[in-house]
Parts: sequence; C-alpha cells; structure tokens
Amino acid sequence: MIKQARHNGDVIRRASKTTVVLQVFSVALLLGLAFMAVDIVKRYSTLQDGIRENALWSVYQFDREARRLHELVHLYLAQGPQSGIAVKTLTTRYDILYSRMNILEQANFERQFVLNPEIGQRIAAIQDTVYGIVAPFDALAAGKDVAKEQLLEVDGKLETLLGATEDLVIFTNNWVSTNRAEKRSGLMTLQVQTVVLVGLLVACVFFLIFNLRRQLRSVRRAGLDLEAMATELNESYLAAEAGNRAKSQFMATMGHEVRTPLNAILGTAELLELQTLPQGMLAGVQTIRRSGNALLELINEILDYAKIEHGNVDVEMRPVGVRALAESTIEMVRDRASENGNLLELALPDNFTMPVILSDPTRLRQITLNLLSNAIKFTKDGVVTLRIAELVTSGPGCLRVEVSDTGIGIDNASIDKLFQPFSQVDSSISRKYGGTGLGLTICKQIVEAMDGRIGVESVRGKGSTFWFEIPVKPARIEESEDHGMHDAQAAVALKTLHILLVEDNAVNQQVAAGFLRHLGQNVKIANDGFEAISAFENDKFDLILMDMQMPNLDGIEATRRIRALPDGQAVSIIAMTANASEDDRRLCHEAGMTGFETKPVTMPKLRDIIARTEQIVDPGQMASVKAAPPERDSEFDTLYEQRRAELIEALGEEGFNELLDSFFEDAREIILKLRSTASPKDQQTIDHLLHAMKGAAASVGLGEIAATAQAFRSGDFSPGRLEELEHLLDAQKHRLAA
Amino acid sequence: MNALSKLTATILAVASFTIASPARALDKPTGDVILTVRGPDLKNANAGDTAQFDRDMLQALEKRTGAMETPWTSGKVEFSGPLLRAVLSAAGAHGQKLKIIALNDYSAEIPYEDATKLDTMLALTMNGKDMSVRDKGPLFLVYPFDLDPSLFNEKYFARSVWQIKEIEVSE
Repeated sequence: MIKQARHNGDVIRRASKTTVVLQVFSVALLLGLAFMAVDIVKRYSTLQDGIRENALWSVYQFDREARRLHELVHLYLAQGPQSGIAVKTLTTRYDILYSRMNILEQANFERQFVLNPEIGQRIAAIQDTVYGIVAPFDALAAGKDVAKEQLLEVDGKLETLLGATEDLVIFTNNWVSTNRAEKRSGLMTLQVQTVVLVGLLVACVFFLIFNLRRQLRSVRRAGLDLEAMATELNESYLAAEAGNRAKSQFMATMGHEVRTPLNAILGTAELLELQTLPQGMLAGVQTIRRSGNALLELINEILDYAKIEHGNVDVEMRPVGVRALAESTIEMVRDRASENGNLLELALPDNFTMPVILSDPTRLRQITLNLLSNAIKFTKDGVVTLRIAELVTSGPGCLRVEVSDTGIGIDNASIDKLFQPFSQVDSSISRKYGGTGLGLTICKQIVEAMDGRIGVESVRGKGSTFWFEIPVKPARIEESEDHGMHDAQAAVALKTLHILLVEDNAVNQQVAAGFLRHLGQNVKIANDGFEAISAFENDKFDLILMDMQMPNLDGIEATRRIRALPDGQAVSIIAMTANASEDDRRLCHEAGMTGFETKPVTMPKLRDIIARTEQIVDPGQMASVKAAPPERDSEFDTLYEQRRAELIEALGEEGFNELLDSFFEDAREIILKLRSTASPKDQQTIDHLLHAMKGAAASVGLGEIAATAQAFRSGDFSPGRLEELEHLLDAQKHRLAA
Repeated sequence: MNALSKLTATILAVASFTIASPARALDKPTGDVILTVRGPDLKNANAGDTAQFDRDMLQALEKRTGAMETPWTSGKVEFSGPLLRAVLSAAGAHGQKLKIIALNDYSAEIPYEDATKLDTMLALTMNGKDMSVRDKGPLFLVYPFDLDPSLFNEKYFARSVWQIKEIEVSE
C-alpha cells in the first residue's frame, strides 16, 4: 500500500519534471516563432517598399520606343517627305523616347536594380546616345531644316542604341529572374524554418498533452490509492481501538477480580490486627496489610487509568471546604511520610477568600494524594510541603496546589516524559521505588478534565515542586461537606442495629461480619438473594448490606423483590460492590437501593453506613451530635462515657472494670516493650506496639490515648514521646480510678 | 476623410454637375487638341461624335491639386489638373469602362468608378509647370495617392497612364 503510494508519488513527480521541461521547450519554440514572425513582417515590409515601377517593363518599353523611333527615322530617310510622316510625329516619338529615358533614370526601381553597377553603366551609355541626338530633333521641332547627313548619323546612333537596349532587356530579364529565384528560395528557407518550428511546437504540445494525461491518470490513481489507504487506516484504527477497548475491559475485569480476593486479605489482616497476637505474628500481619494496601493502590491506579483512557473522567461538582480537604489529605499520608523519615508540612493562607469552592473533592484529593505519595516516595529524611494558594486575578478564581519535596529531583530531559503513560524517569526508578508510572498521567487527565493545568519544576538532587491549578468558583458554605467530621464521627459509638449481610463469599462474610460485630452490631448472614428474601420475610432488619454479584439471585434482583414485599419499603439497603461505575450506581438506584458503597469494606465505611442508618432509624440522636460538635477534650470524655455506657450495658459494671484493668496492664507491657526497643530505627516494632495500644484504647473508648498513639505512629518515636504517652496513661488511670 | 463622407461628397459633386451643366454642346477647341473623348453616345460631342479638348478647355473644368510621391518621379511632386469625372461630364459621357490611350498607343482599361468614386485627375501641370511629352505630358492620369495610400500599388500603377491622347468610354 505504502509502496504503491510512493510509486504513484514518483510517477507524478517524474511527470511534473517532464512537464516543466516541455514547458521550457515550448516557450523556447514560441520565442523562435516570434522571431520568425518578426522576420516575416520585415520581409513583407520590404515587399511593400518594393511596390515600385517594374524595371523589366520600363526597360522593355524603352527598347520598344527606341525601335519605333529608329523605324520612323529609317523610313523618313529612305522615302523623305513622300513617306507621309509628319515631322511632328517624328519629334513626338523622340519626346516619348526621351520621357522613357527619364523614367529609366528617375523611376523607383528596386534598390538592387538601381545599385547594380553594370545596369548603371549600361543605362549611362544609353543615356549618352539618347541625349546625344537631342539637337536634330529640337531643330526639327522648331521647324528648322535638318541635314540628311545629320539624320543618317542619328539613324546610325539609334542602330547602336537598339543593340544596347536589347542587351539591357535581356540583362534585366536575367537579373529579375535571378532575383526572383533568390527571393523565392529565401522565402522557401523561411517557410521551411517556420514549418519545422511549428512542427516542433505541435510535437511539444502533443507531448505536453500526453504528459498531462499521464499525470492526471497518476493523480487519479494516487487519489484512489489514498482513499483506499484512508479506509484501511480507519479500519486498522478501529481494530486497534477495539483491541485497546478490549484491553481496557480486560484490565477492568482483572482489576475487579484481583480486588475481590485482596479485600478478603486486607480485611482479614485488619481483623487479625485487632486481636491480641504474638509479637512476631502481628508484624507479619501488618506487613500483609501494608503490602495489600500498596497492591490495592496499584490496582486502583491501573483501573483509574483504564477508565480515563476510555475517555470518561467523571467530575462531580460539589461544595468543598479547602482547608478541611487539605488537612484530611495530608493526614492520609502522614504514616507513609514518617516511614520515610519525612517531615510533612501544610502551608495554607490564614484566610481563604473562597473557603468553600465548587469542585470535585474526590478528584482533588486523588490528585493531591498522588502528588504527595510521589513526593514522599522519592524523598528520604526530607521535607514534603503541601501548599495551597488562591490565585485571584481579574477573571475567575483559581486554586493552586503545590507539593514540594527535598527529594531526588528530576533532570530537565526527563521532565517531558513525566506525564506520559507508563513512563518513569528511568528503569532504575521503577526497580527502586516501584509504582505503575500511571499516577501523573491520571493526574494530568483529571486536571485537564477540570479545565486546569499541571506542571513541575525540578532540580536534580535538590527536589521537585509539582503543582496544579484549576479554575474554581466559590460555593455557599452550607453546602460544604465537612470532611473533618469523619474523624470525629469515627470515634462516636454506634447504636446496635439488626443487620442482614448478603454475601456469597465466605471470607468476605467473615470479614464484614467480624467488623460489624466489632462495631457492636447484630449480624445475620445470607449467602445469596433468595436466602436474603426469606431472611427478610422471617425477621425485621434495620439495614441490609447487599452484595451485587451473587449466584442464584443477584443483589439488584433481590433488592427489587424485597422492595416489592409489604414491609420492604422502609429498610435501608446498601449495595456493596467493587464495580463503581456510573451504570452500576444507576442500576442500584433504579432497583430501589438506599445507598452504594465500593469495596473493599473497611471499618470506617461500615461505621459510616451504620451511622447514616442510625440517623434514619433514630434521627434525634444524630441530630444532637451534629448540632453541637463537641470540643476535643470533652469529645473524648463523651466518647468514653458513651462507650462505657455501652460496654457496661453489654458486659456489666464488673466486666467493664476488668476490661479497663486488662487494658492498662497491656498498656504497661507495651510501654515496657517500647522502652526496651530504644533504637528508633526499629520502626516496625514501634509502630506495631503503638497500633496495638491504639486499637486497645479505642476498644475501651479511651479516645485520647488512641489518638495519641496513632499520632505517634508517624515520625520518629523519641524518648520524649514515650514519656508523654506514659504520663497520659497515668493521668487517665488516675482520673478513672477517682 | 472617411469612406462614407467621401462617397457623399462625390455623389453631391456629381449631382451638382448634372444640374449645373445641362446637356449643351461643347465649344469647339480653339488651340491644339490634346484630348479626344470617344463614346457610343456622347451628349456634348463637339467634333462629330467625339468630344475634343484643348488646354484652355481642360483648365476651365473643376480641378484638384495634390502633392504626392509616384514610382516614376523622384521626391514629392505637386500635380494639378481637371478631375477625370469633370472631363467626362463635360463630354456628356456615360458608361462602365474607360480605355485610356497614350501617345505611344499604350492603353489601360479602368472602371468608370475610378472617375466617379475617386478624385482621379488628368494632371496638366507638375510642380506648377506644364508637362511636355518628354515630361510624361501633355496629360497624366494621376490617382489620389495622397488621399488614399492604399491605392499605392501595382494595380493602380498600371492604370496610371501618361502622355494621354484619347479616352474611350464603353458600356
């Protein structure tokens, strides 16, 4: 195909060259013709000049007149006055000859004739004779007598003249003939030249036409080939596109397939962590969880990319509190930052002119998190700063988010490759730091979908600053979702609900049920849609957690059927699925589901769901929490009181006290262990111990201790911190004992 | 002068002549006869059935003067003499063809229109002087080369008869 196109191109180019040559040749020929035309015109004008007296005719006339005069004179001499010839006739004849002589002398003959020396000589000789005999005729005209001898002399001279005139006639005739022949041959040459030139021109035009035809044919063929090529390309493109779509589909499916067992792993690990485990085992479980999380992140990234490559970047505009978003986002990476020994800094302006903006909080957080994760990943023992600024220019507002680090940096040559998919600065990077290399591509796509721009400034070895700017509009503060509330809510104890968990996967069942029980919930398990319906018919539930894909009867259909039951309207049904597409949401909504949660199932998510359901079941309680968000100190107290009340309700007063005692015993052991692992380098052990303390503290409702332990997990665990923790434990113990 | 106006002028001139000179016999020539006009039915014949003219009679007719070059003279030459049509009109001639006959019996046949449509003259003088036989005299049929350069070609050269003695009019 390409070969064919190239061949066509060659043919056209060659034909063009030939055409040019032919054109040049034609122009040259035309010039030649023009010159020839000029020559012809010139010759014609000489012909016009030549409209003169006919030399041969004049000479002939002269000869004739001379003969007549001679005859007359001869007759007159022979017969005398008896001849009857009047003297007047004689003189008139001479006068006529004389006038003829004048003509020969003065008339405009052809130039060559006049200039011919021989003719000149001959005419001069004749002239002498004619003018030499003027006297006797003048005398005769005057009526005088002329002697016969004189007339005889005239007769003799005329005799000689006749010889001369005859010679002149012959000579002139010859000259005229020669001249005509020469002229004709000259004209002939010119004609031949013209014919040759015209012939060449015709040939040239013929070639031109031929060549143009050939060119046209080639052009048409090339056009057809191009068309065919375009069709072929289009087909290939469609095939490639189909292939690509299939790939994306495959990626999405695989991602989903991988995510499901991963959820199970992560959930199990999290559950295990909450149990009291031997130390070695706990570290192992933590490793499982951390690696699992990393793997999940990777898969999420790939899925995100597949989705974006498909062309759908969903941007959902909602009011967003900038400060809360920044704070919560940075919290999410605090652990990882401290693992790498990095100091996390948040630089926000004191006052935002637009504290609440209209944007997509999920996407904003996703980009910021990605940039922060990268910064942390490539920085060791440095500083990572998240800086948010408002660029309020004359036009619409603009939010600028900067993530600076003091990490390895990027050289200029590699910066261009940064935002390309699957590219990392170099292969050694991927070996050392891992990652898909998709993060920045995804960020770029999202930022562009939000009409913003993204960029980076970097110096190798000094660090990088990644930034993005998106145009934003201010939103009304009431509409803002307070992301800060989540953490507070997390600590709020939950009311026990009667929950039906519909899940086919045994491990997922175990995890979710474990979480729910841990959250103090009453759980019943159904293995598929049918079981769910029969369970619902026999019992009354506050909440149904419905898996989407199940054998026998899937979540959507089960929901429809439950909604169709007499009591099926009131219950909250939340879909649990790894498919988070808009279509799934729509399907769920249409089937009558109350809400939608993506897998993996985590404790906070479940807590959130339960809290929301609680609000519906008993709006009064949640309203009070929302209406007056407690201050931090009293919040912990309230938490403790609630927890205590709940636990006492569940275990009795003695049971709760025993629980408290065992907690403080455990805490003391942890403190001892923390002290013995004085080396701050053994981060993992310290983290594990702090995590254990956090979990234990949270389970008995000691929020402040849990929070402190959690906070100390990021950054170096200094002896100062250990002391602080010890003090806190003592203080709480005293307070509770009082 | 364009062709149309020339034609109009000619027609007017011819018309005025016919009106101004009603059929009346020519006077007899008093001097030497230098031109004889013959024709089948000359209205103004003065010598038998021919009309004869001497120099004075010709001088009295409508004339024209024109300076021009000819193939038989050198340089620009001024010719003057009666218009051919004036002569023919004076003779009361009419016909289709004219035969101009010279002293040496050379003759040329010209269409009658050459007299009516062109200001053809029978030149009597050249550069103000009478023309002798030695100078192509006494009469020289001169076409108006000065008024119409397209006449300057061999066709009219052949018709330019000099040393004229007779004009024969025929149908």
